[in-house]
Amino acid sequence: MKYHVREVRVVDNVKTGGDIYLLTLAAPAIAAAALPGQFIHLRCGEGLDPLLRRPFSIYGVDRKNSLVQTWYQVVGKGTDLLRKAKAGKTLDVIGPLGKGFFTDIAGRNAGLVGGGMGIAPLMFLGGELAQNNRVHSFFGVRSKAQLPPGLSFPTPLVATEDGSAGRRGLVTDVLEQELQRQKMDILYACGPRAMLQQVVKLAQKYDIPLQVSLESAMACGVGACLGCACEKSGADGESWLKACQDGPVFWAAEVKWE
Amino acid sequence: MKPDLTVFLAGIKMKNPVMTASGTYGFGDAYTDFYALGELGALVVKGVTLEPRRGNPPPRLAETPAGLLNSIGLENPGVEAVLKHYLPGLSQAGTPVIVNIAGNSIDDYVRVAERLHASPVVKALEVNISCPNVKCGGLAFGSEPGMASQVIGAVKRHSRLPVIAKLSPNVTDIGEIALAVEEAGADAISLINTLVGMKIDIKKRRPALANLVGGLSGPAVRPVAVRMVYEVSQKVKVPLIGLGGIITAEDALEFIMAGASAVAVGTGNFINPCCCREIIAGLTAYCETNKIANITALTGAAWRYDDGSC
Ligand SMILES: Cc1cc2nc3c(=O)[nH]c(=O)nc-3n(C[C@H](O)[C@H](O)[C@H](O)COP(=O)(O)OP(=O)(O)OC[C@H]3O[C@@H](n4cnc5c(N)ncnc54)[C@H](O)[C@@H]3O)c2cc1C
Ligand SMILES: Cc1cc2nc3c(=O)[nH]c(=O)nc-3n(C[C@H](O)[C@H](O)[C@H](O)COP(=O)(O)O)c2cc1C
Ligand code: FES
Repeated sequence: MKYHVREVRVVDNVKTGGDIYLLTLAAPAIAAAALPGQFIHLRCGEGLDPLLRRPFSIYGVDRKNSLVQTWYQVVGKGTDLLRKAKAGKTLDVIGPLGKGFFTDIAGRNAGLVGGGMGIAPLMFLGGELAQNNRVHSFFGVRSKAQLPPGLSFPTPLVATEDGSAGRRGLVTDVLEQELQRQKMDILYACGPRAMLQQVVKLAQKYDIPLQVSLESAMACGVGACLGCACEKSGADGESWLKACQDGPVFWAAEVKWE
Repeated sequence: MKPDLTVFLAGIKMKNPVMTASGTYGFGDAYTDFYALGELGALVVKGVTLEPRRGNPPPRLAETPAGLLNSIGLENPGVEAVLKHYLPGLSQAGTPVIVNIAGNSIDDYVRVAERLHASPVVKALEVNISCPNVKCGGLAFGSEPGMASQVIGAVKRHSRLPVIAKLSPNVTDIGEIALAVEEAGADAISLINTLVGMKIDIKKRRPALANLVGGLSGPAVRPVAVRMVYEVSQKVKVPLIGLGGIITAEDALEFIMAGASAVAVGTGNFINPCCCREIIAGLTAYCETNKIANITALTGAAWRYDDGSC
């Protein structure tokens, strides 16, 4: 896998609801190589504060037009700068980085479980899987404004905290109801740790293979700094999983959850 | 005419004065998709200990204004695994390979150094007596001249390889430590390792790092590092490797003019993965513009303004 370091052009950077934005970049090399679950590592500004790059999942790729999208929430300095990047501006982006989701399946029932901004990588994944599989998605957000735009697979079952869309409550409850109704062949999840832990339990209970995408603070994004260590399961607990290089996607069984 | 960037340091010939900083470049494998290792003046790999080390629990990183706090804690697979799995692949690196070593006791340092003789790839040892992220060892050896000189002296006696002492800035008198390691036989000195620092997460009302404290690096520490290079380079005869917050060729030039013979880039690689390559190009351009035939002429260029009041 080759990385690409590019000055890429902002094509669009628009609010999709609340404090969440959809960034579209003209990045041919990244668009050509990107796989669902991979991320890009970008400098939000040109100055030295914030100093580090910020990782964002690849939300969508338009290979024909060489576009790459990320969908981000403004949570701090970096994302607040990014929000102000206008169309035409160039950004310093490297990617695609990391190991993506296992997508070597066909004719299957695939379940996508996303919480908050963890929905982002599942949007790219869902679009790819839907070409050869039946995609069932379960999205949990605070309220309606946090739902993602531009769906390319069947409508998700939604749970909101405030009841403004779908069901009020937890996405994992919606997931379990569906698991009681029909068998899933594989699950993919990304979201807050507490949600992931619950999905891990459900996957065990219903005996379904599960892949998770983990988040961790990152500096280099390419395996050089050892900053993004995540705990491994089992006897192999001597070393760590590097979220940036071994992941961010892992089989749930590789990760220590307690 | 193309300026000559060659420098000789600790018996090693380097095609340019730009090296990588230990712990920020893995074992040379992380950045090869951006440019070839052979472009570097030298490659300094991650700190290696006798036994494998698990390092500290996450979170291990916290960002501060123009700085990075890390508490990796010398995670490494141990010297045997490094000899077996990492060093052989570097035989074609096209650049001198320097292994950074650390230990909990003088005996540890000596044994790692001796084991590394087994590898024809290793051109020098950089002895880390300055890691702020491990409970015993590391910094404990670097904060007192007597201890510093014992470690460096012991490694020097047992090693046929050139020895570079990497010093900590977390000391009262850096000059005193530098003189001690020079006397103990160090062939060169690296200045600086990270500064002990801390960040509090005010949302969680707890330290941002699981290890509570970490080592500060990046542009935030550069003035501290430049001052130490300036002071030490005028006290010792051995060459210095200057590092701490270097991102651009201008930053590197500051260190060289302060008295460094070579520079190393750490956190800068995370910001710009092509950092080292661009610094090398920038140094070449500076020498061309200013008609400097050999970059060594710039080492200590800023000294002559010293009236002794520093
Ligand atoms: C592999 C990977 C993929 C990611 N994909 C996306 C994505 O698609 N969309 C998206 O919006 N975000 C994503 N993130 C998170 C994103 O990187 C952070 O939100 C971003 O770095 C914050 O930068 P900042 O400077 O705005 O915030 P900072 O100033 O760094 O932090 C501001 C506040 O936000 C908190 N914060 C920082 N990082 C995170 C985080 N990862 N999760 C929750 N809180 C955080 C901090 O603790 C702090 O309180 C991803 C992270 C990883 C590791
Ligand atoms: C993530 C990280 C890991 C590091 N690991 C080591 C190490 O193993 N041994 C060592 O001597 N220094 C280590 N350092 C210190 C650097 O080599 C360097 O001295 C310091 O970061 C200052 O340079 P910089 O500002 O260019 O990063 C590490 C620094 C960072 C940021
Ligand atoms: S972020 Fe540096 S190793 Fe993963």
